[in-house]
Amino acid sequence: MNKESRLKATINQRLTELGERERLKELLRAKLTECGWKDQMKAHCKEVIREKGLEHVTVEDLVVEITPKGRALVPDSVKKELLQRIRAFLAQHAA
Amino acid sequence: MKMEDMPLSGPDNTKLEALVNDIYSELVEDACLGLCFEVHRAVKQGYFFLDETDQESMKEFEIVDQPGVDIFGQVYNQWKNKECECPNCKRLIAASRFAPHLEKCLGMGRNSSRIANRRLASNNNMSKSESDQEDNDDLNDNDWSYGAEKRAKKRKSDKSQTSPRRSKTLKHKNGELGSGISADPYKYNYNAGINYEMLGPDEVQSFLTTQCGVISEHTKKMCTRSQRCPQHTDEQRMAVRVFLLGPSAPVLPEADSVAVPESFDIPDGQALMSRLQWEDSPEISPSDSASSKASTNHSDSRRPKKKKPRPSLGLNSGGGIGSLSGGGGGGSSQSNISLSTKKKKPKLTAPSISSIYDDLN
Repeated sequence: MNKESRLKATINQRLTELGERERLKELLRAKLTECGWKDQMKAHCKEVIREKGLEHVTVEDLVVEITPKGRALVPDSVKKELLQRIRAFLAQHAA
Repeated sequence: MKMEDMPLSGPDNTKLEALVNDIYSELVEDACLGLCFEVHRAVKQGYFFLDETDQESMKEFEIVDQPGVDIFGQVYNQWKNKECECPNCKRLIAASRFAPHLEKCLGMGRNSSRIANRRLASNNNMSKSESDQEDNDDLNDNDWSYGAEKRAKKRKSDKSQTSPRRSKTLKHKNGELGSGISADPYKYNYNAGINYEMLGPDEVQSFLTTQCGVISEHTKKMCTRSQRCPQHTDEQRMAVRVFLLGPSAPVLPEADSVAVPESFDIPDGQALMSRLQWEDSPEISPSDSASSKASTNHSDSRRPKKKKPRPSLGLNSGGGIGSLSGGGGGGSSQSNISLSTKKKKPKLTAPSISSIYDDLN
């Protein structure tokens, strides 16, 4: 277990150091906007806000409502591509 | 920092996959969080619902998703199947063909004048007599109707000989214009040939001074290439000139064996040039006047090709040389020049010339 967590930490560190993490983030954001995921989520947000009332909505509310749905709504193609890139990075820099 | 090597065996592979998935989940959560912050800020700043304030315009610009209509609700080919009445010919034309039809119908477009000219040209070829050639002057501007343009130019010289009706075989298509007019007397340059029968003697002479002129056996045309054209030899050119202008025609730059005293007064370059125009190139003259050896080389290289014998020179080589050198009276170069300026007959045998120069040198 220790080994694994150590490995994980190392890899995360590598990701950040080499700037790959930022690149992956940007890639994901672009892809999600492209496929309409962001608009979908915004619409969902509107519903939540109307529910909770405009004045009283907090970040926590939103996070709680949005995140699970967001995770589920990511298209398969986007998911696959990202996984592919992460695997490639690991193959190059880890093993 | 050195990483631990992870062997990619079965169970470890799943660990690696798990790792990958973890990383992925982190990234997605990050994206969601980012969105939440963005929305929350928009809510608190009050611009989140800004695009929903005007209900009326929202309905007006709602996205349309019906068949046959685009996203704005407009019909795509609404006017495609409609017909319009042409104001000129009163016909019903399809909308998409209306503009080209108008162009032709009113005669105002770019192409319509070309087509009209083409039609006129074909009518002229088939039916009009020579006196109507004046009308064809308008066709001179048209790069298409080649035959009409050339016909106008050659008109006066051919009036006495053949009538333009010989060109009845002329077919009126673009590509065939050249090939169809082999019998056309007006054909000037198109097939790179002129029919020598069609030229007057003066024209033949002027033509032969500048161009090769060798007559092709199968087409009876004269070559319009330069005097140095590689397809024909000087011998052929000579033969043509003799054939067309007569044996006495001055056609070569070489001088006669007869000594002519007054030729000395002629400046070398000018005399050479005037003679040389009959036969060959500017190449000869500068080298002739430059040095004796050069002229010898040129003369030697060219003269052997001539078939015409020079009996006078051959027989009188001694006598001729004597008279020449006596008349020349100068150095070898001068006698060379006098030799070339005086001679009017085309042929000089090479051995006799070289013997002359040997003697002089």
